[in-house]
Amino acid sequence: MPRPTLLTTALTVALNFATSLGAAQGGTPTAAGQPRLAEPVRTVAGPAPDLTIVAPAAPGGGWDQTARVMQQVLRTSGLAQSVQVVNAPGAAGTIGLARFVSADAGNGSALLVTGLVMVSGIATNNSPVTLADVTPIARLSGEYEVIVVPKGSPYQTLGDLVTAFKANPRAVSWGGGSAGGTDEILVRLLADAAGVPRSGVNYIAYSGGGQALAAVLGAHVSAGVSGLGEFAAQLESGDLRALAISAPARIAPATSGFDAATVPTIREQALDVVLMNWRGVVAPPGISRAERRALESLIAEMSKSREWQEALARNGWTDLTLVGEDFGRFVTDETRRVVPLVVASGGGARRDWFEVLVLGALVASVAAAGLQRFRQRAMEPAIHATNAPLNRRSLGLVAAAVLLEAALIVPAGFVVTSALAFTLVARAFGSRRIAVDAAIGLALAAVVYLGFAKGLGVSLPTGVFS
Amino acid sequence: MESLSALFDGFRVALTPAHLGWSLIGVVLGTAVGVLPGIGPALTVSLLLPVTFSLDPTSAFIMFAGIYYGAMYGGSTTSILLNTPGESATIVTALEGHQMAKAGRGGAALATAAIGSFVAGTLATLGLALLAPPLVRVALALGPAEYFGLIVVAFAAVTSVLGRSRTRGMVSLTLGLTLGLVGLDPRDGQARLTFGIPYLLDGIDPVIVAVGLFAVGETFFLAARHGLDIDELVPLKGSLWMTREEWKRSWKPWLRGTALGFPLGALPAGGSELPTFLSYGIEKRLTKYPEEFGRGAIEGVAGPEAANNAAAAGTLVPLLTLGLPTSATAAMLLAAFQQYGLRPGPLLFEQEPALVWGVIASLFIGNALLLVLNLPLVGLWIKMLSVPRPLLYGAILVLASVGAYSVHSSPADLVMLGAIGAIGLALRLGDFPVAPVIIGLLLGPMAEQQFGRAVSVASDSVTQAFARPVAGSLLAVALLLLAWPGLAKLVRPRRTRG
Repeated sequence: MPRPTLLTTALTVALNFATSLGAAQGGTPTAAGQPRLAEPVRTVAGPAPDLTIVAPAAPGGGWDQTARVMQQVLRTSGLAQSVQVVNAPGAAGTIGLARFVSADAGNGSALLVTGLVMVSGIATNNSPVTLADVTPIARLSGEYEVIVVPKGSPYQTLGDLVTAFKANPRAVSWGGGSAGGTDEILVRLLADAAGVPRSGVNYIAYSGGGQALAAVLGAHVSAGVSGLGEFAAQLESGDLRALAISAPARIAPATSGFDAATVPTIREQALDVVLMNWRGVVAPPGISRAERRALESLIAEMSKSREWQEALARNGWTDLTLVGEDFGRFVTDETRRVVPLVVASGGGARRDWFEVLVLGALVASVAAAGLQRFRQRAMEPAIHATNAPLNRRSLGLVAAAVLLEAALIVPAGFVVTSALAFTLVARAFGSRRIAVDAAIGLALAAVVYLGFAKGLGVSLPTGVFS
Repeated sequence: MESLSALFDGFRVALTPAHLGWSLIGVVLGTAVGVLPGIGPALTVSLLLPVTFSLDPTSAFIMFAGIYYGAMYGGSTTSILLNTPGESATIVTALEGHQMAKAGRGGAALATAAIGSFVAGTLATLGLALLAPPLVRVALALGPAEYFGLIVVAFAAVTSVLGRSRTRGMVSLTLGLTLGLVGLDPRDGQARLTFGIPYLLDGIDPVIVAVGLFAVGETFFLAARHGLDIDELVPLKGSLWMTREEWKRSWKPWLRGTALGFPLGALPAGGSELPTFLSYGIEKRLTKYPEEFGRGAIEGVAGPEAANNAAAAGTLVPLLTLGLPTSATAAMLLAAFQQYGLRPGPLLFEQEPALVWGVIASLFIGNALLLVLNLPLVGLWIKMLSVPRPLLYGAILVLASVGAYSVHSSPADLVMLGAIGAIGLALRLGDFPVAPVIIGLLLGPMAEQQFGRAVSVASDSVTQAFARPVAGSLLAVALLLLAWPGLAKLVRPRRTRG
């Protein structure tokens, strides 16, 4: 095992080193030829101390990308000395939010990425912690939603679609992202504006943008709803037709690719609905007024920097900067508007036939297996009378190793905890050389740590070494 | 012919020393991340995106393609040797592969996996180069009803892994289905079986369940039996390489696996797990050695391994032709394209031919590199089985937990890993099969979602939803598969008499 891992480690480190050198010298392809911003433009105070940005999502999603782009911009523009991104994914961000509020309270150098999806997640998941428990800092960016139909669809305008929707709501199926997300919120807002009861909405949730897109392209749903970016390539090629965009006014013409300025807004088509999938940052509760001001001005500076503006363009995000108290009021308004929409979705009696079916089958098969065992025992008692003995000591040691890992990995760190677990398991399997085992365990854990945490940037706790 | 000359140009792009270097880095990195459960190609690409931004797009994508294919190889190595599937696509490989390794045929299992992956990867990449546009039109025509039919066929095909006792197999299968219920109902976002614990809202990660049941559960079990049983593990018996007989038993499963994996991978909701299950079920039904299944049948490694690599290539069909990301890794590749200001989609082949064909050519090259790298390493990997057991199981636990932890950076995942390990121990002690738990967990939620969608799309009418030619025939095939043992009994006696 150690040899190939070492090899990879060397390569990864070399790669990271080489590319970071490249990044420092070459600049980005879009910025080619332009000089980098040499001097930091920070005017408020000295450079910010170590900043931690919590992305309450797994690597790859919009919140994680926001955090990582912020990290890059803050570093390269010299606005902060060191920026660390921590992923705390789960349950539409509410797990990260709860952890942020309890663990980072009073910490003036921590930020959490948030957005519309968290507002609705808090409501659907009955989260005890809400956005009222954190300090609003700024709204940063967002995406508008588009309503599209396949090119062969009979609906030419949003009006056509809404007329059909009003006439027979269940016959119009809307495909979009996961239940309770931005896409479903937009469809519910449309239904409200068109006077269609919420129970009549036939919304089909797909996991991931790709599957919803496939359903629209294959004409398996009447219309698709998603962020503009998800559909842009197919709109450009003409495989999809955009009926409306959820922006307050037509958006600025694009220089290349699909020109979204040609898409009429929902408002233009006589329904008063505006929605953006916004993202922003909040600070922990209990920070001082000065700390709050410092964070607000840091983020305001960042959003003005050329690096940030370039990153927005690259990712197809709209600049929605709104700092401080205004952002706080915006969050309150959004909560008031969105929560009733998503809470009502699960209302009424739930007929979850699948859950009933599965639990029923589990009970039935356990009962059948029990009955079978009982019969066999009655017929051939000799075979089943004795239970095989267990080596309780070894089993106990392995179980202890797993439990210790769970308990100690954060406080003591990955390397120490893994070495300890390794030693315990080796002991369970009869090894007597505790010191040698510990050394081997330590070496193995250190190699894994170097390769994956240092080389690749997977977040593993450092613990006692930090 | 046009595609062939474009592919030839692609080779000229991919065969420059710099691009070959990036391909090599990609496949090595991919193999390494494939080894660790939880850390897969999607996570790796997303972590590397910020640092690769300064590379030119062609180099970056050549490396990403290498990572993608490499991860499939790395995942199967640990499945076979350590019973620790690194990716959900290699879970099935562990079923027969680890039994082969225990019986001293680990070298042959690794070889059939590597060669099968190479054959499948090469054929499927050729399919990607030549058949992508027509294939994607067919794929788009399939809706939720057809997917549901396909999943039911997979269920029916793998009921054979239920083990000796159908009743016990059903307990495991329904346990898996129950674990699959945990989390938010995908249709309306309401919590199910979460008992008020926020951690459970996102459901239980299949990789954690697989590693918990297989690796941790087995470690628990062996610890519990330590000093009481005779050691079953034989590092090597007979030749290190595949014997003539093993070649003969492997080549058909490779081709069948490819034929299953590539089109299913190209389906927007096909994924890479479904073809591996189907391939396993089919190989078990077609084999001349059914008694070896469950004890290390080489067909059960060759087929699913070919299927998962072919599916990986298949996933690129909708990505490159339509800009449709159908897996987590494809979604990350799409994000990477967008970072470079490229718009994958119907126009990508016209707008960026050098890039697209360069990447496709680099897939062939990466595949060949992986074979060249992996075959000589088989001997080294096999030596791992000779590592004293205390150290081997210590290392397995460390690898399993780093993988589980990195999924969500949460110690709660380690608690879950231990809990699933305890379930795995209980199942083994009670003589219940373990594989059906995984089948239920992976296929159950898929079946539920597609069924729900099919009915919603058909304006809430179940009969209308499945009165479609393809969906209807798939359901009929599933019914036939389930009824086959009974039908066979009815047919056979007559034949012998007549």
